[in-house]
Amino acid sequence: MTGTPAPVGRPALTRRRALTAALAAGTSVLGAGALSGCGSALAADDSTVRLWDLFSGADGGLLNDMVRKARPDMPGTRIERTVLEWGTPYYTKLAMSSAGGRGPDVAVLHMSRLAGYAPTGLVDPWDLDLLAEYGVRREDFTDAVWSPTQYEGQTYALPLDTHPFIVFFHPEPVKKAGLLTKDGTLDADAFSSPDKFLAAGKELAKASGKQGISFGYVTDTAQGWRLFYGLYKQTGGVFKVPPGGPAEVDVDRMAEVIAFMAKLVDGKVNPKRLDYAAGMASFNNRQTAMILSGEWELGTFRGADKNVGAAPFPTVFGTPAVYADSHSFVLPHHPDPDAAHRRRTHRAVAALLKAGQIWGTAGHIPAYGPVTRTKEYAALLPQAHYKVAADHVVLDPAAWFAGAGSDFQNAMSQVLQQALLDGLAPDRAARAMVRRLNTFLAKPSPA
Amino acid sequence: MSSPHASPRPGALSVRRLFSPGLLFALPFLVLFAVFLLWPLGQGLWMSLTDRALSAHAPSFIGVGNFTEAFQDAEMWKALWHTVLFTLISTVPLVVVALGMALLVHTGLPGQWVWRLAFFAPYLLPVGVVSLLWIWLYQPDLGLYNHLLDKLGLDGVAWLSDESVALWAIALTTLWWTVGFNFLLYLAALQSIPDHLYEAAAIDGAGAWRRLFSITLPSLSRITVVITVLQLLASLKVFDQVYLLTKGGPNNSTRPVVEYIYDVGFTGYRLGYASAISYIFFALVVLASAAQFAVLRRREK
Amino acid sequence: MTSTDAPARSKPAPQVRRPVTPPRRPRRPERSQTNLTLGASRTARVLALVVLGVAALVWLLPMAWALLTAFKSEQDASDPLHWLWPKHGFTLDGFSSVWERGDLPLWMLNSLLISAAVTVITVLVSAMAGYAFSRTLFAGRRWLFTLTVAAVLVPPQILIVPWFQQMLTLNLLDTYAAVILPQTVAPVMVFILKKHFDSLPKELEEAARIDGAGHWRIFWSVLLPLSRPMLAAVAIFVFIGAWNNFLWPFISTSDPSLMTLPVGITTVKDAYGIQYAQSMASAVLAALPLIVVFVFFQRHIVKSVATTGLGGQ
Repeated sequence: MTGTPAPVGRPALTRRRALTAALAAGTSVLGAGALSGCGSALAADDSTVRLWDLFSGADGGLLNDMVRKARPDMPGTRIERTVLEWGTPYYTKLAMSSAGGRGPDVAVLHMSRLAGYAPTGLVDPWDLDLLAEYGVRREDFTDAVWSPTQYEGQTYALPLDTHPFIVFFHPEPVKKAGLLTKDGTLDADAFSSPDKFLAAGKELAKASGKQGISFGYVTDTAQGWRLFYGLYKQTGGVFKVPPGGPAEVDVDRMAEVIAFMAKLVDGKVNPKRLDYAAGMASFNNRQTAMILSGEWELGTFRGADKNVGAAPFPTVFGTPAVYADSHSFVLPHHPDPDAAHRRRTHRAVAALLKAGQIWGTAGHIPAYGPVTRTKEYAALLPQAHYKVAADHVVLDPAAWFAGAGSDFQNAMSQVLQQALLDGLAPDRAARAMVRRLNTFLAKPSPA
Repeated sequence: MSSPHASPRPGALSVRRLFSPGLLFALPFLVLFAVFLLWPLGQGLWMSLTDRALSAHAPSFIGVGNFTEAFQDAEMWKALWHTVLFTLISTVPLVVVALGMALLVHTGLPGQWVWRLAFFAPYLLPVGVVSLLWIWLYQPDLGLYNHLLDKLGLDGVAWLSDESVALWAIALTTLWWTVGFNFLLYLAALQSIPDHLYEAAAIDGAGAWRRLFSITLPSLSRITVVITVLQLLASLKVFDQVYLLTKGGPNNSTRPVVEYIYDVGFTGYRLGYASAISYIFFALVVLASAAQFAVLRRREK
Repeated sequence: MTSTDAPARSKPAPQVRRPVTPPRRPRRPERSQTNLTLGASRTARVLALVVLGVAALVWLLPMAWALLTAFKSEQDASDPLHWLWPKHGFTLDGFSSVWERGDLPLWMLNSLLISAAVTVITVLVSAMAGYAFSRTLFAGRRWLFTLTVAAVLVPPQILIVPWFQQMLTLNLLDTYAAVILPQTVAPVMVFILKKHFDSLPKELEEAARIDGAGHWRIFWSVLLPLSRPMLAAVAIFVFIGAWNNFLWPFISTSDPSLMTLPVGITTVKDAYGIQYAQSMASAVLAALPLIVVFVFFQRHIVKSVATTGLGGQ
């Protein structure tokens, strides 16, 4: 400001000048924003691939490591992460930004959510030829993982991992209870029916000196549903959700599963009324010998017991099925995507998939086959012990309202909580679930 | 009617009058007004009659379908009830506490600016800051309030995760955050009570309490009505702090109707249905305003 | 004053005595305002002071707690045993890691740009409209003013869905324009400024008119300078409102580099999970600008609220 002559006019004049200047500044900002249509003052340059995800905590740190490891595979490209709050807030923002057409270049999406994004036109399909150029092919994924990525013959999601709902255990009490096989894995036969499962719980309680199996679900928005749906699919029951409804389900089998779940947490051999955090704490403090949990908590459990064991969720009702979800990459819709930038994005994601070994250390099962076939991965324990879970994964029913962090999961979990905690009869709970499911189905689909 | 200077022949709607300087002056506002208020208002009404979604889905006209659905939607009624309940439990303390603060500060105790800063400063915090702060204060194991309760030998409270407490906790946060605004309005009103009233009363030998009840409070009755009205209308529109503190939870027990609009429209993709609920909520606001207007009118007479 | 008051042509709300010129420069108001305490006993005063002191403490406590946490290490912040005083002393780590992430300064800049643009546009446009409604005649003036006043009833909350759809149609989502423009429609301010112009004496304009001044000169060189306190009050009010606005900026921006301060700090998370010291450091940094402004311009802000806060009722 030194070069400016000191204002000589009356103060009013300078103030007016200041006002005019401010006005000019304001309108020029506005005009620039409006005219160029571009957004930010600091728009990222071309070489930056903007990635949205919902990983914070341990997963968030690992994804940073993956981005670092992927760098040599994508020279000249930078990945810029934006972490948003897990669950509904994330998915709402993703849908809104995709609808606006100025979303990120690539985003993480739970596969169970794809039904709300692909048919609605909120995400664009991947170009498999481009991916193949960068070493990622259809054959690199198992059928179970690949099939949910498809919609109308196009591939809308690239799976990063499978993350099943499994069991973790402390090896010593489990061994003491005689529930370990010779090679140190869980004896799945001992859990192969509802009665056997409950009996094994009793043995575990004896062996631990306290209680048997932890399951934290109180006030949780998903846990009840995760356990229920995996078990229900083990019964072989149908669970069809035609648009408009009504749902086609087997209420008797649902009630059977709910009855089993209620016995599991009746407080006699296993603790009652645990919320998510309390469930983790009771297992970590060795109040129990086993916990029913998502594999994503591996890091926490290993912090409390470095020898913690794991196994796929036992087949309790005859048909092998493990509730799971899959983090995948999607391309938020851009009305007029730049071909070179899309290519860059494909390359960056291919590079990330190849860095999946790091992701595996968190407990997730990498979806990209070449990673899980390495010796390095086979040496990861207990991950290698539950890797087979990926062959029998069950995802949420493919409906636009379902999936991770959805209101639907919450609604189902609420009913289940009433049955498990407040003594709602299993058959009535099953019917209540169907009623609520039908309410969701009755809503018009946005697709 | 003394103001008009450019006084063309009354009634003659000439071209000159159509483009009169007055209209040109009003034009920038009128354009913004039309584009960003009237148009959306109309568009919202139209959308409420369609099944428009947040997707490539082509909307179709469905008549009053959204409205009939809304009136049978238990979740909507629940959300409306939360809004009304929040309005009740927030408005009363926001008016009473503000009045108490203003009366105390107005007594002329030393340190005026400190009091004003203490009570008004929270109002200047963006709601994002307020929510970060109170999530931390309410944190069950590490937060200040549970530690203080512990010191007093009381059990900790699950402030934001207990269904029977959460809405009250949000109201408490709101009181802390916005009471300063009403406090300033009261303070200004107190300062404009003419001194001679007090002097006359003092001559009559009226004591401090006497003057409070016979002069101060009656002089504040009108401003109290206005503040209450403004506060009611502000509380009915609650969204920010609820969304940021609890996301409407636990189990939707604190979700106000504005958040329901957001949830239905953007999370649930149903823009048409969300528009219908917006209009139902609008009707509630208009109704509340009309009721207050009527009350005020009666008082005027 | 009443003699120059233009007759209220459409009464939207009962006329409450509006402090048009609230005690101008209330210099040391505390001196002249001992009305309540004239003759009050010493004990009453002490009691009042104690009550007030406790209330102020309760009100300041949350901010003090935030400051305290912001200067702790993450480890100490989440240590329930040393919840009050940090075991390892104070540190600036929280602040430096927040600042290094770089998005907080960007959001501050966005907030500043957006609030400034909203303020300038709103004040100018509303003042012009207020002038038009107060001082000129044009076809439809009366019902346009009635419409404007009626629009005060429309809560912005019910417009989020159609605004979003509108910005989608105009292809403006995730731009500054989308955040700013809907916030500039402020019928209340038009109403307040119209009433204000009504209250100004006409003599000065008449003189200017005789000198051959047109409407623009009269508006710009005569009325606006006369209205500086009022314009300042309105501007401060609009600015604070825009600075703190959450809902619409939250809906209209998804791109983190476009977010305003209140939206950014609550929407974008840290990759390393919840860290309370950092969270409080960002809260403190985000709170700072307006608090500092308040400390320096307390009188103006207080007046702005008193003048504008009643929404012209």
